[in-house]
Amino acid sequence: MSELKKLNVNPCKMCMPIGAAIAFKGIENSMLLMHGSQGCSTYMRRHMSTHYEEPIDIASSSIDEQGTVYGGEDNLKQGLKNLIELYSPGVIGIVTTCLAETIGEDIRRIVADFKQNNELGSLALVTVSTPGYGGSQFEGYYLSLRRIVEQLVEEPAHKTKKINLIAPNISPAEIRELKRILELFKLDYTILPDIAQTLAAPYTADYSKIPAGGTRLRSIKKMGEAAATIELGALVDSSLSAAAYLEDKFAVPVYRLPLPIGLKNSDLLINILAEISGREIPAVLKEERGRLIDTMIDSHKYNGQGRAALFGDPEIVYAVSSLCQENGVKTILMATGSNIATFNNKLREITAANREQSLILNDTDFEEIRNYISEYKINLMLGNSDGAFIEEKDGIPLLRIGFPIHDRVGAARQQNIGYQGTNTLLDRITNQLLALKHDNFRENLYQKYYQPLSKSIAAESFTEQSFQTAELSVGDQ
Amino acid sequence: MKDSKAGIEEILDDVLQSYPAKSMKNRKEHILVKDRNKSELKIKANTRTIPGIITNRGCAYAGCRGVVLGPLKDVVQIVHGPIGCSYYAWGMRRHQGLAAEGGKNFINYTFSTDMQDSDVVFGGERKLKEAIKEAVEIFNPSTIMITATCPVGLIGDDINSIAKQAEEEYGITVMAFNCEGYKGVSQSAGHHIANNEIMDNLVGIKDKELDYKYPINLMGEYNIGGDAFEIERILHKIGYDVVASFSGNGTADQIKYSHEADLNLVQCHRSINYIAEMFEEKYGIPWLKVNFLGVDATIESLRNMAEYFADPELQERTEKVIAEELAQIEAPLNRYKELFTGKTAFLFVGGSRAHHYQNVFKRIGIETVVAGYEFGHRDDYEGREVIPDIEMTADDRNIPELEVTKDDKKYRLRISQAKKEELQQKMPLDYYGGMIKEMEDGSVAIDDLNHHEQIKLTEALKPDIYCSGIKDKYTSHKMGIFSKQLHSYDYSGPYAGFKGHLQFAEDIAAGILNPSWSYITPPWKEKTTLEGSFGGGE
Ligand code: SF4
Ligand code: SF4
Repeated sequence: MSELKKLNVNPCKMCMPIGAAIAFKGIENSMLLMHGSQGCSTYMRRHMSTHYEEPIDIASSSIDEQGTVYGGEDNLKQGLKNLIELYSPGVIGIVTTCLAETIGEDIRRIVADFKQNNELGSLALVTVSTPGYGGSQFEGYYLSLRRIVEQLVEEPAHKTKKINLIAPNISPAEIRELKRILELFKLDYTILPDIAQTLAAPYTADYSKIPAGGTRLRSIKKMGEAAATIELGALVDSSLSAAAYLEDKFAVPVYRLPLPIGLKNSDLLINILAEISGREIPAVLKEERGRLIDTMIDSHKYNGQGRAALFGDPEIVYAVSSLCQENGVKTILMATGSNIATFNNKLREITAANREQSLILNDTDFEEIRNYISEYKINLMLGNSDGAFIEEKDGIPLLRIGFPIHDRVGAARQQNIGYQGTNTLLDRITNQLLALKHDNFRENLYQKYYQPLSKSIAAESFTEQSFQTAELSVGDQ
Repeated sequence: MKDSKAGIEEILDDVLQSYPAKSMKNRKEHILVKDRNKSELKIKANTRTIPGIITNRGCAYAGCRGVVLGPLKDVVQIVHGPIGCSYYAWGMRRHQGLAAEGGKNFINYTFSTDMQDSDVVFGGERKLKEAIKEAVEIFNPSTIMITATCPVGLIGDDINSIAKQAEEEYGITVMAFNCEGYKGVSQSAGHHIANNEIMDNLVGIKDKELDYKYPINLMGEYNIGGDAFEIERILHKIGYDVVASFSGNGTADQIKYSHEADLNLVQCHRSINYIAEMFEEKYGIPWLKVNFLGVDATIESLRNMAEYFADPELQERTEKVIAEELAQIEAPLNRYKELFTGKTAFLFVGGSRAHHYQNVFKRIGIETVVAGYEFGHRDDYEGREVIPDIEMTADDRNIPELEVTKDDKKYRLRISQAKKEELQQKMPLDYYGGMIKEMEDGSVAIDDLNHHEQIKLTEALKPDIYCSGIKDKYTSHKMGIFSKQLHSYDYSGPYAGFKGHLQFAEDIAAGILNPSWSYITPPWKEKTTLEGSFGGGE
């Protein structure tokens, strides 16, 4: 929050451990244990379940009042034992919540001790310190990936042609799209984390307590052998970056890219894949690209009317703003509740040339966002479903993208990346603008042309306001 | 019941088998098979959750901020703590609230001091003070409630004196709730903390002349999916006036003069019984255990209320309304009963609904085979008569008991002791009998169910309907079993009262009769020959 504002009204962010939970859900045969009081894990399970429409099973060490005095070590160890007994996982992520951090629990030491005193076989334990007050879900997500890599990757015996792909917090369907693209280039890859199946499990006759899929422990261990790491995340600080660690430690070259949403961002990824693989861009991708451009041309007339507010996860805001720019949708307001050092500058860079200056809000809340939305005559919101109350109160349509989506189904099936996903998202945006136009067309005509005529008012009616509406309809015909 | 009944003890043994020894012993005491012939049916409840099992329980903060305080419309609720707790409690319970004419409604909001590292190190008191100031300036509420999350108690922020100061400074009601998540063993601790604070600092701070003939308070009803709207509709139709609701569709302003009521109706015993009891001590208002979930229970509750007020005219109107309402729903309900007969349900909800919904299901032909509470106490299972036998644990002792005494100015005996005793023979006045008495022999009561037990029991008992919340809903779906969320009602409701029961039956029908089920085969049913081929049905 800005220094002046002490009251966060309707947060545009979550806390660190929920980001950790998403990251760990993408590891094969893994379970997560949150060290702290049980409320946090219960809340996060609820929020993730609503978004993914999947069971989200997260354990807690259930520290109680006594534990706040004597420490939660026994709880954590007992919790690990029960979890191992009941689920036989291959990997357990152990993350902290505010309580454990406030009382100063040293999970690294406790877990090391547990390892020493128990026969764990091949079970891998990864610890991440994620106090809720230490950052948002964004930092929690990337930090967990970094810790996973730090604690699991082994010294490489030799180099391979495999590539690592550090995936951002996107949907399972989008992870599947990334895989399809990688496979089109015939690349051998490790994608971390891989929630393609774990958070979108197909119905099968036999329910399994830990869903199938996820990045294999085996593959993670070998990430140091890779020829390159592509990290999708333009705003990730190097202290949170798994790719940066692999580079520093094992000299694996890094390509840092934004999420492949929009033409330009997708091109970035595709070109790099072509470069790394040494292959021609596959014909099918060229075709998809061509189709996207065709859509962009066909729809440009309508998109110019969009005055958009983007909010939520910083990476999604960053990437989608690029898509908007390419299509003439005005990115009037771009906001995140997370506090990201580079957010303002990076977004300023890509919006600098705009006719109307964009408003960029880092570390904000929905109260502030809402105030600007009405002040700047936003007609379209793009972001997570937490903006729904603005839609409800002020009637500004919200296109739900990103995490979390609580009040609509299908969040796990949304596919907004690459040329195909961009095409779908662009259509949704255009259609929303068309709907707006159809809904208001007659009324606008009446108010703009008929009313002034009938009142035979001339110059006076050319106020600031009607000037703005007039400008809004450029590209209307 | 099905053939599974015979082997229920073996089934439970199998469930417990998988635990390490220590945990097995613990869990065994939380599970019970109903058997009328046993002289004692004792269940363990309200004790610590075993670490590492996947519990459905939440924390004290959730019980306080989320459950009891959340629905109050006119209150700005500032969560003092890091952002997550406030964020996760925002709008998730589907409690509905209509602002009264000109009244404020903050139900769409959540407010947080968004504690950072530095606040945890240096203390967050200054930030909280400034947050209160901002809240007053921007939202101008008549009541502010501050709830504490885990770090607050540990770093020693004194939210109580900050509340006091703010109250003096701004001339509004400002309350502080020390409901840090680690207190107690579940949400239940938070209910208790909320009850104490409301009783101590909100109830009775304002007097109001009410021109009501039958003034009542509605307690422990949270207006999920609009339940309170339906209940209030019926009550108004009969001629009752709701003074205050604790807290569905309620306001703090009404609670301030709620001591003007003549009877307290208790829907959810667990979350509000402390207040109900204290009301009687302090103001002489008895409480009646009601249940507006299910028509039969609703009718019984309405009749008990009319008898309490002992007014023939009221009794007559009660019967008239009952007849009128029944006429509209009986025929369709009976048709649903035919349709559903033989089906079974597995209920795991909160601290009262696992009981209340049994009669809802029964009326439409569905038998409950397992029922359990997430945060109930022994009295919610076995009845209030066991309260003297409940051992106090360290966790209980950490939550202060509030001592209330008779308020000499406001105390007014509503009915004589003799009359009360007479009524107690006929109705649950100042009494709750718990869930187990009403369960069928052979059915299972289970406390603090976890993920493992859900799966094992579902596989063994093969219920047709699984009723719980969002956390286990999808597990149930993955197992091929229809689920109905009884916390948030899956975007539907109301289910209370007369119309609500029909709505519920319709939703159950829409669920279990949906054609999508015909494309899947639960593992215990015969594998169809079509398995493995596309488009196969049963
Ligand atoms: S902010 Fe801290 S205490 Fe609150 S839910 Fe997140 S981890 Fe838990
Ligand atoms: S357990 Fe503590 S930190 Fe977690 S949600 Fe509850 S109050 Fe917040």
